[in-house]
Amino acid sequence: MLETSDIRQRLAEMQRRLASLPHLSRLGSLFTETVLIEIDGAEFYLHFEKGHLVDIQPGPSRKTPWRFAFRSDGDAIEAFWQTLPSPGFHDIFGLVKIGRGRVDGDIVCLVKNLRFFKEFMALGRLESMA
Amino acid sequence: MIDQLEAIVGRYIPIDVNGVAQRIYFEEAGSGPPVLLFHTAGADNRQWRHVLNDPDLTSRYRFIAPDMPWHGKSLPPEGWQCQEYLLTTEAYVATVLAIASALQLDKPVYAGCSMGGRIALQLAHQHVEKFKGFIAIEASDFQQAWYDIDWFHRPDAHGGEMGAALVSANIAPQAPDAERWNTQWMFMQSGPGVFRGDLSFYTRDDSLVGQLHQIDTSVAPVHIMVGEYDLTCTPEDARRTAEAIPGATLDVMREIGHFPMSEHPTQFRPHFVEALAKMR
Repeated sequence: MLETSDIRQRLAEMQRRLASLPHLSRLGSLFTETVLIEIDGAEFYLHFEKGHLVDIQPGPSRKTPWRFAFRSDGDAIEAFWQTLPSPGFHDIFGLVKIGRGRVDGDIVCLVKNLRFFKEFMALGRLESMA
Repeated sequence: MIDQLEAIVGRYIPIDVNGVAQRIYFEEAGSGPPVLLFHTAGADNRQWRHVLNDPDLTSRYRFIAPDMPWHGKSLPPEGWQCQEYLLTTEAYVATVLAIASALQLDKPVYAGCSMGGRIALQLAHQHVEKFKGFIAIEASDFQQAWYDIDWFHRPDAHGGEMGAALVSANIAPQAPDAERWNTQWMFMQSGPGVFRGDLSFYTRDDSLVGQLHQIDTSVAPVHIMVGEYDLTCTPEDARRTAEAIPGATLDVMREIGHFPMSEHPTQFRPHFVEALAKMR
Protein backbone atom coordinates (compact mmCIF):
# COMPACT_ATOMS: atom_id res chain seq x y z
CA MET A 1 0.00 0.00 0.00
CA LEU A 2 1.22 3.48 -0.80
CA GLU A 3 2.16 5.67 2.17
CA THR A 4 1.47 9.39 2.18
CA SER A 5 5.16 10.07 1.63
CA ASP A 6 5.13 7.77 -1.43
CA ILE A 7 2.21 9.68 -2.90
CA ARG A 8 3.86 13.03 -2.26
CA GLN A 9 7.00 11.79 -3.99
CA ARG A 10 5.01 10.36 -6.87
CA LEU A 11 3.13 13.62 -7.39
CA ALA A 12 6.44 15.49 -7.43
CA GLU A 13 7.71 13.09 -10.11
CA MET A 14 4.52 13.67 -12.09
CA GLN A 15 5.10 17.41 -11.82
CA ARG A 16 8.57 16.98 -13.32
CA ARG A 17 7.24 14.72 -16.07
CA LEU A 18 4.50 17.20 -16.97
CA ALA A 19 7.10 19.96 -17.28
CA SER A 20 8.96 17.84 -19.85
CA LEU A 21 5.92 17.18 -22.07
CA PRO A 22 5.13 20.22 -24.21
CA HIS A 23 2.12 18.56 -25.85
CA LEU A 24 0.49 18.05 -22.48
CA SER A 25 1.16 21.57 -21.28
CA ARG A 26 -0.35 22.80 -24.54
CA LEU A 27 -3.48 20.67 -24.01
CA GLY A 28 -3.82 22.26 -20.58
CA SER A 29 -3.07 25.79 -21.69
CA LEU A 30 -6.53 26.98 -20.62
CA PHE A 31 -6.41 25.04 -17.36
CA THR A 32 -5.68 27.28 -14.40
CA GLU A 33 -7.32 25.58 -11.45
CA THR A 34 -6.64 23.99 -8.09
CA VAL A 35 -7.39 20.27 -7.89
CA LEU A 36 -7.65 18.32 -4.67
CA ILE A 37 -6.19 14.82 -4.76
CA GLU A 38 -7.15 12.88 -1.66
CA ILE A 39 -5.79 9.40 -1.04
CA ASP A 40 -6.79 7.61 2.16
CA GLY A 41 -7.72 10.98 3.58
CA ALA A 42 -4.34 12.57 2.85
CA GLU A 43 -4.93 15.81 0.94
CA PHE A 44 -2.79 17.31 -1.80
CA TYR A 45 -3.80 20.59 -3.43
CA LEU A 46 -2.43 20.76 -6.95
CA HIS A 47 -2.21 24.30 -8.27
CA PHE A 48 -2.18 24.32 -12.07
CA GLU A 49 -1.46 27.43 -14.11
CA LYS A 50 -1.96 27.29 -17.88
CA GLY A 51 -1.21 23.58 -17.99
CA HIS A 52 1.77 23.70 -15.64
CA LEU A 53 1.69 22.28 -12.14
CA VAL A 54 3.21 25.17 -10.21
CA ASP A 55 2.71 23.93 -6.64
CA ILE A 56 1.75 20.83 -4.69
CA GLN A 57 0.40 21.95 -1.36
CA PRO A 58 0.00 19.21 1.24
CA GLY A 59 -3.12 19.27 3.40
CA PRO A 60 -5.06 19.18 5.52
CA SER A 61 -6.54 22.53 4.75
CA ARG A 62 -9.95 24.04 5.38
CA LYS A 63 -9.28 27.25 3.51
CA THR A 64 -7.91 26.15 0.17
CA PRO A 65 -10.61 26.39 -2.50
CA TRP A 66 -10.52 23.79 -5.26
CA ARG A 67 -12.38 23.35 -8.53
CA PHE A 68 -12.77 19.58 -8.41
CA ALA A 69 -11.46 16.75 -6.27
CA PHE A 70 -10.42 13.21 -7.08
CA ARG A 71 -10.55 10.87 -4.11
CA SER A 72 -9.40 7.28 -3.90
CA ASP A 73 -7.57 4.86 -1.62
CA GLY A 74 -3.93 3.84 -1.55
CA ASP A 75 -4.41 0.32 -2.87
CA ALA A 76 -6.58 1.53 -5.74
CA ILE A 77 -4.25 4.33 -6.79
CA GLU A 78 -1.30 1.94 -6.62
CA ALA A 79 -3.21 -0.45 -8.91
CA PHE A 80 -4.04 2.49 -11.19
CA TRP A 81 -0.36 3.39 -11.41
CA GLN A 82 0.71 -0.08 -12.54
CA THR A 83 2.13 -0.30 -16.06
CA LEU A 84 -0.72 -2.61 -17.12
CA PRO A 85 -3.53 -1.98 -14.67
CA SER A 86 -6.28 -4.56 -14.17
CA PRO A 87 -9.76 -3.91 -15.60
CA GLY A 88 -11.46 -1.09 -13.74
CA PHE A 89 -8.18 0.20 -12.35
CA HIS A 90 -6.97 1.40 -15.75
CA ASP A 91 -8.72 4.78 -15.77
CA ILE A 92 -9.82 7.35 -13.21
CA PHE A 93 -13.43 6.93 -14.33
CA GLY A 94 -12.89 3.18 -14.07
CA LEU A 95 -12.03 3.68 -10.41
CA VAL A 96 -15.19 5.72 -10.01
CA LYS A 97 -17.29 3.07 -11.75
CA ILE A 98 -16.00 0.23 -9.57
CA GLY A 99 -16.49 2.28 -6.43
CA ARG A 100 -12.81 2.92 -5.68
CA GLY A 101 -12.74 6.56 -6.71
CA ARG A 102 -14.89 9.64 -6.44
CA VAL A 103 -15.04 12.97 -8.24
CA ASP A 104 -16.46 15.95 -6.36
CA GLY A 105 -16.90 19.58 -7.28
CA ASP A 106 -17.09 20.98 -10.79
CA ILE A 107 -17.10 17.79 -12.85
CA VAL A 108 -17.82 19.72 -16.06
CA CYS A 109 -14.51 21.52 -15.58
CA LEU A 110 -12.86 18.12 -15.32
CA VAL A 111 -14.63 16.83 -18.43
CA LYS A 112 -13.67 19.93 -20.44
CA ASN A 113 -10.04 19.21 -19.55
CA LEU A 114 -10.37 15.47 -19.38
CA ARG A 115 -7.59 14.43 -21.73
CA PHE A 116 -5.15 16.76 -19.99
CA PHE A 117 -6.07 15.59 -16.49
CA LYS A 118 -6.21 11.90 -17.35
CA GLU A 119 -2.81 12.03 -19.02
CA PHE A 120 -1.43 13.93 -16.05
CA MET A 121 -2.73 11.29 -13.63
CA ALA A 122 -1.28 8.52 -15.81
CA LEU A 123 2.17 10.11 -15.44
CA GLY A 124 2.32 8.32 -12.10
CA ARG A 125 2.72 5.02 -13.92
CA LEU A 126 6.13 3.50 -13.57
CA GLU A 127 6.91 3.46 -17.28
CA SER A 128 6.31 7.20 -17.32
CA MET A 129 9.02 7.57 -14.69
CA ALA A 130 11.68 5.95 -16.85
CA MET B 1 -2.81 -2.29 -60.87
CA ILE B 2 -1.16 -0.31 -58.11
CA ASP B 3 0.13 -2.76 -55.52
CA GLN B 4 -0.22 -0.38 -52.60
CA LEU B 5 -3.96 0.18 -53.12
CA GLU B 6 -6.06 -1.17 -50.29
CA ALA B 7 -8.91 -3.51 -51.23
CA ILE B 8 -11.53 -1.32 -49.58
CA VAL B 9 -14.00 0.38 -51.94
CA GLY B 10 -16.35 3.15 -50.79
CA ARG B 11 -19.68 4.01 -52.42
CA TYR B 12 -22.97 5.78 -51.67
CA ILE B 13 -26.53 4.51 -51.84
CA PRO B 14 -29.79 6.42 -51.23
CA ILE B 15 -32.29 4.80 -48.89
CA ASP B 16 -35.59 5.70 -47.29
CA VAL B 17 -35.83 5.40 -43.51
CA ASN B 18 -39.40 5.83 -42.30
CA GLY B 19 -40.11 8.41 -44.99
CA VAL B 20 -36.82 10.28 -44.56
CA ALA B 21 -34.35 10.27 -47.45
CA GLN B 22 -30.86 9.28 -46.33
CA ARG B 23 -27.70 9.00 -48.41
CA ILE B 24 -25.61 6.22 -46.95
CA TYR B 25 -21.89 5.87 -47.37
CA PHE B 26 -20.54 2.35 -47.08
CA GLU B 27 -17.24 0.61 -47.59
CA GLU B 28 -16.89 -2.95 -48.71
CA ALA B 29 -14.31 -5.56 -49.49
CA GLY B 30 -14.23 -9.26 -50.28
CA SER B 31 -16.48 -11.83 -51.84
CA GLY B 32 -18.62 -14.54 -50.36
CA PRO B 33 -21.51 -14.55 -47.92
CA PRO B 34 -22.38 -10.95 -46.98
CA VAL B 35 -21.53 -9.65 -43.52
CA LEU B 36 -22.80 -6.24 -42.40
CA LEU B 37 -20.49 -4.41 -40.00
CA PHE B 38 -21.92 -1.59 -37.88
CA HIS B 39 -19.89 0.91 -35.88
CA THR B 40 -20.28 2.19 -32.32
CA ALA B 41 -21.85 5.42 -31.14
CA GLY B 42 -19.97 8.59 -31.99
CA ALA B 43 -17.76 6.99 -34.63
CA ASP B 44 -17.95 5.60 -38.15
CA ASN B 45 -17.13 2.64 -40.37
CA ARG B 46 -13.37 3.21 -40.13
CA GLN B 47 -13.56 1.17 -36.93
CA TRP B 48 -13.76 -1.87 -39.22
CA ARG B 49 -10.74 -0.94 -41.39
CA HIS B 50 -8.65 -3.91 -40.31
CA VAL B 51 -11.32 -6.51 -41.03
CA LEU B 52 -11.93 -4.98 -44.47
CA ASN B 53 -8.21 -5.08 -45.13
CA ASP B 54 -7.74 -8.70 -44.02
CA PRO B 55 -7.00 -10.71 -47.20
CA ASP B 56 -7.74 -14.04 -45.59
CA LEU B 57 -11.14 -12.94 -44.31
CA THR B 58 -12.06 -11.08 -47.49
CA SER B 59 -11.28 -14.19 -49.52
CA ARG B 60 -14.16 -15.86 -47.69
CA TYR B 61 -16.70 -13.11 -46.93
CA ARG B 62 -18.09 -9.95 -48.46
CA PHE B 63 -17.86 -7.33 -45.73
CA ILE B 64 -20.02 -4.21 -45.94
CA ALA B 65 -19.50 -1.43 -43.38
CA PRO B 66 -21.98 1.48 -43.59
CA ASP B 67 -21.79 4.85 -41.90
CA MET B 68 -25.05 5.44 -40.08
CA PRO B 69 -26.85 8.67 -41.03
CA TRP B 70 -25.16 11.68 -39.36
CA HIS B 71 -21.93 9.64 -39.04
CA GLY B 72 -18.74 9.54 -41.06
CA LYS B 73 -19.47 10.36 -44.70
CA SER B 74 -23.25 9.80 -44.46
CA LEU B 75 -24.67 13.32 -44.29
CA PRO B 76 -27.50 14.17 -41.95
CA PRO B 77 -30.94 14.40 -43.57
CA GLU B 78 -32.22 17.59 -45.13
CA GLY B 79 -33.29 20.04 -42.44
CA TRP B 80 -30.85 18.72 -39.85
CA GLN B 81 -29.88 22.22 -38.84
CA CYS B 82 -33.16 22.69 -36.99
CA GLN B 83 -33.35 19.19 -35.53
CA GLU B 84 -32.09 17.68 -32.31
CA TYR B 85 -30.45 14.41 -33.29
CA LEU B 86 -31.78 11.64 -31.07
CA LEU B 87 -31.38 8.11 -32.39
CA THR B 88 -34.24 5.71 -31.73
CA THR B 89 -34.45 1.94 -31.85
CA GLU B 90 -37.15 2.21 -34.51
CA ALA B 91 -35.02 4.38 -36.80
CA TYR B 92 -31.93 2.28 -36.21
CA VAL B 93 -33.66 -1.00 -37.07
CA ALA B 94 -35.29 0.58 -40.13
CA THR B 95 -31.90 1.89 -41.29
CA VAL B 96 -30.24 -1.52 -41.11
CA LEU B 97 -33.13 -3.18 -42.96
CA ALA B 98 -33.20 -0.44 -45.62
CA ILE B 99 -29.47 -0.78 -46.25
CA ALA B 100 -29.68 -4.57 -46.52
CA SER B 101 -32.63 -4.26 -48.90
CA ALA B 102 -31.09 -1.52 -51.05
CA LEU B 103 -27.92 -3.58 -51.45
CA GLN B 104 -30.05 -6.66 -52.24
CA LEU B 105 -28.31 -8.72 -49.57
CA ASP B 106 -29.69 -12.20 -49.09
CA LYS B 107 -29.78 -13.02 -45.37
CA PRO B 108 -26.56 -11.30 -44.36
CA VAL B 109 -24.73 -11.90 -41.13
CA TYR B 110 -25.11 -8.83 -38.95
CA ALA B 111 -22.17 -7.77 -36.75
CA GLY B 112 -22.26 -4.59 -34.69
CA CYS B 113 -20.40 -3.09 -31.78
CA SER B 114 -21.76 -1.23 -28.76
CA MET B 115 -24.96 0.47 -29.96
CA GLY B 116 -24.48 -1.65 -33.08
CA GLY B 117 -24.43 -4.67 -30.79
CA ARG B 118 -27.59 -3.57 -29.03
CA ILE B 119 -29.31 -3.37 -32.42
CA ALA B 120 -28.03 -6.86 -33.22
CA LEU B 121 -30.16 -8.04 -30.32
CA GLN B 122 -33.14 -5.95 -31.44
CA LEU B 123 -32.85 -7.39 -34.97
CA ALA B 124 -32.60 -10.90 -33.54
CA HIS B 125 -35.74 -10.18 -31.55
CA GLN B 126 -37.78 -8.49 -34.29
CA HIS B 127 -36.42 -9.75 -37.63
CA VAL B 128 -34.56 -12.97 -36.98
CA GLU B 129 -35.68 -14.53 -40.27
CA LYS B 130 -33.98 -11.83 -42.34
CA PHE B 131 -30.48 -12.62 -41.16
CA LYS B 132 -28.12 -15.57 -41.16
CA GLY B 133 -26.82 -14.77 -37.70
CA PHE B 134 -25.89 -12.06 -35.26
CA ILE B 135 -22.53 -11.09 -33.79
CA ALA B 136 -23.29 -8.69 -30.95
CA ILE B 137 -20.07 -7.06 -29.77
CA GLU B 138 -19.93 -5.17 -26.47
CA ALA B 139 -23.66 -5.72 -26.34
CA SER B 140 -26.22 -6.08 -23.62
CA ASP B 141 -29.92 -5.53 -23.12
CA PHE B 142 -29.47 -2.22 -21.31
CA GLN B 143 -27.04 -0.06 -19.38
CA GLN B 144 -27.68 3.15 -17.57
CA ALA B 145 -25.22 5.93 -18.31
CA TRP B 146 -22.34 6.37 -15.87
CA TYR B 147 -21.82 9.84 -17.35
CA ASP B 148 -24.00 12.80 -18.31
CA ILE B 149 -24.69 12.60 -22.04
CA ASP B 150 -25.20 16.38 -22.19
CA TRP B 151 -21.47 16.83 -21.58
CA PHE B 152 -20.94 16.00 -25.24
CA HIS B 153 -22.91 18.79 -26.87
CA ARG B 154 -22.44 22.26 -25.48
CA PRO B 155 -21.44 25.59 -26.99
CA ASP B 156 -18.45 26.23 -24.75
CA ALA B 157 -16.44 23.07 -25.36
CA HIS B 158 -15.57 20.55 -28.06
CA GLY B 159 -17.90 17.61 -27.59
CA GLY B 160 -15.80 15.33 -29.77
CA GLU B 161 -12.65 15.89 -27.78
CA MET B 162 -14.49 15.40 -24.50
CA GLY B 163 -16.16 12.27 -25.87
CA ALA B 164 -12.84 10.86 -27.00
CA ALA B 165 -11.30 11.54 -23.60
CA LEU B 166 -14.21 9.82 -21.92
CA VAL B 167 -14.28 6.73 -24.15
CA SER B 168 -10.53 6.29 -23.69
CA ALA B 169 -11.63 4.80 -20.36
CA ASN B 170 -13.02 1.93 -22.43
CA ILE B 171 -9.79 1.12 -24.25
CA ALA B 172 -7.60 -1.60 -22.76
CA PRO B 173 -4.07 -0.58 -21.71
CA GLN B 174 -2.69 -3.30 -24.01
CA ALA B 175 -4.04 -1.56 -27.13
CA PRO B 176 -1.26 -0.48 -29.50
CA ASP B 177 -0.77 3.26 -29.18
CA ALA B 178 -1.43 4.00 -32.86
CA GLU B 179 -4.76 2.17 -32.80
CA ARG B 180 -5.75 3.70 -29.46
CA TRP B 181 -5.40 7.15 -30.96
CA ASN B 182 -6.96 6.20 -34.32
CA THR B 183 -9.95 4.99 -32.36
CA GLN B 184 -10.21 8.25 -30.43
CA TRP B 185 -9.76 10.37 -33.56
CA MET B 186 -13.11 9.17 -34.92
CA PHE B 187 -14.86 10.40 -31.79
CA MET B 188 -13.07 13.73 -32.07
CA GLN B 189 -14.36 14.02 -35.64
CA SER B 190 -17.99 13.17 -35.00
CA GLY B 191 -20.53 15.89 -35.75
CA PRO B 192 -21.88 18.18 -33.05
CA GLY B 193 -24.43 16.39 -30.90
CA VAL B 194 -24.09 13.06 -32.70
CA PHE B 195 -22.41 11.17 -29.86
CA ARG B 196 -24.99 12.62 -27.45
CA GLY B 197 -27.84 11.56 -29.77
CA ASP B 198 -26.45 8.05 -30.06
CA LEU B 199 -26.02 7.78 -26.30
CA SER B 200 -29.56 8.96 -25.80
CA PHE B 201 -30.72 5.78 -27.54
CA TYR B 202 -28.07 3.59 -25.96
CA THR B 203 -28.57 4.67 -22.37
CA ARG B 204 -32.34 5.19 -22.30
CA ASP B 205 -33.93 2.52 -24.48
CA ASP B 206 -34.63 -0.41 -22.20
CA SER B 207 -37.14 -2.08 -24.49
CA LEU B 208 -35.16 -5.34 -24.60
CA VAL B 209 -35.32 -5.86 -20.86
CA GLY B 210 -37.48 -8.89 -20.17
CA GLN B 211 -37.73 -9.74 -23.89
CA LEU B 212 -34.46 -11.60 -24.49
CA HIS B 213 -35.94 -15.04 -23.85
CA GLN B 214 -38.12 -14.54 -26.95
CA ILE B 215 -35.09 -14.51 -29.28
CA ASP B 216 -35.09 -17.72 -31.31
CA THR B 217 -31.49 -18.77 -31.90
CA SER B 218 -32.65 -21.91 -33.68
CA VAL B 219 -33.50 -19.64 -36.64
CA ALA B 220 -30.27 -17.62 -36.52
CA PRO B 221 -27.44 -17.87 -34.00
CA VAL B 222 -26.59 -15.06 -31.57
CA HIS B 223 -22.98 -14.73 -30.44
CA ILE B 224 -22.06 -12.07 -27.88
CA MET B 225 -18.50 -10.82 -27.50
CA VAL B 226 -17.18 -8.53 -24.77
CA GLY B 227 -13.80 -7.12 -23.81
CA GLU B 228 -12.65 -7.51 -20.23
CA TYR B 229 -11.71 -3.80 -20.03
CA ASP B 230 -15.08 -2.53 -21.20
CA LEU B 231 -16.45 -0.21 -18.52
CA THR B 232 -19.62 0.59 -20.47
CA CYS B 233 -20.81 -2.89 -21.34
CA THR B 234 -19.00 -4.95 -18.76
CA PRO B 235 -18.45 -8.70 -19.02
CA GLU B 236 -21.11 -9.02 -16.33
CA ASP B 237 -23.59 -7.08 -18.50
CA ALA B 238 -22.82 -9.27 -21.51
CA ARG B 239 -23.01 -12.47 -19.46
CA ARG B 240 -26.39 -11.48 -18.01
CA THR B 241 -27.62 -10.83 -21.54
CA ALA B 242 -26.23 -14.05 -23.03
CA GLU B 243 -27.70 -16.14 -20.23
CA ALA B 244 -31.14 -14.68 -20.89
CA ILE B 245 -31.12 -15.70 -24.57
CA PRO B 246 -31.65 -19.47 -24.98
CA GLY B 247 -28.84 -20.84 -27.14
CA ALA B 248 -26.75 -17.65 -27.24
CA THR B 249 -22.99 -17.97 -26.88
CA LEU B 250 -20.57 -15.64 -25.10
CA ASP B 251 -16.89 -14.83 -25.58
CA VAL B 252 -15.06 -12.68 -23.02
CA MET B 253 -11.96 -11.29 -24.70
CA ARG B 254 -8.80 -10.64 -22.71
CA GLU B 255 -6.77 -7.44 -23.07
CA ILE B 256 -9.56 -5.75 -25.02
CA GLY B 257 -11.98 -2.93 -24.25
CA HIS B 258 -15.10 -1.51 -25.89
CA PHE B 259 -13.72 -1.11 -29.44
CA PRO B 260 -12.12 -4.48 -30.20
CA MET B 261 -11.87 -4.31 -33.98
CA SER B 262 -10.38 -0.82 -33.86
CA GLU B 263 -8.33 -0.60 -30.66
CA HIS B 264 -6.52 -3.95 -30.91
CA PRO B 265 -7.19 -5.66 -34.26
CA THR B 266 -4.71 -8.52 -33.90
CA GLN B 267 -6.06 -9.44 -30.48
CA PHE B 268 -9.63 -9.24 -31.81
CA ARG B 269 -9.06 -11.20 -35.01
CA PRO B 270 -9.11 -14.81 -33.71
CA HIS B 271 -12.23 -14.05 -31.70
CA PHE B 272 -13.95 -12.63 -34.79
CA VAL B 273 -12.91 -15.60 -36.92
CA GLU B 274 -14.48 -17.88 -34.33
CA ALA B 275 -17.63 -15.75 -34.28
CA LEU B 276 -17.99 -15.87 -38.08
CA ALA B 277 -17.60 -19.65 -37.99
CA LYS B 278 -20.62 -19.83 -35.70
CA MET B 279 -22.82 -18.07 -38.27
CA ARG B 280 -23.86 -21.18 -40.20
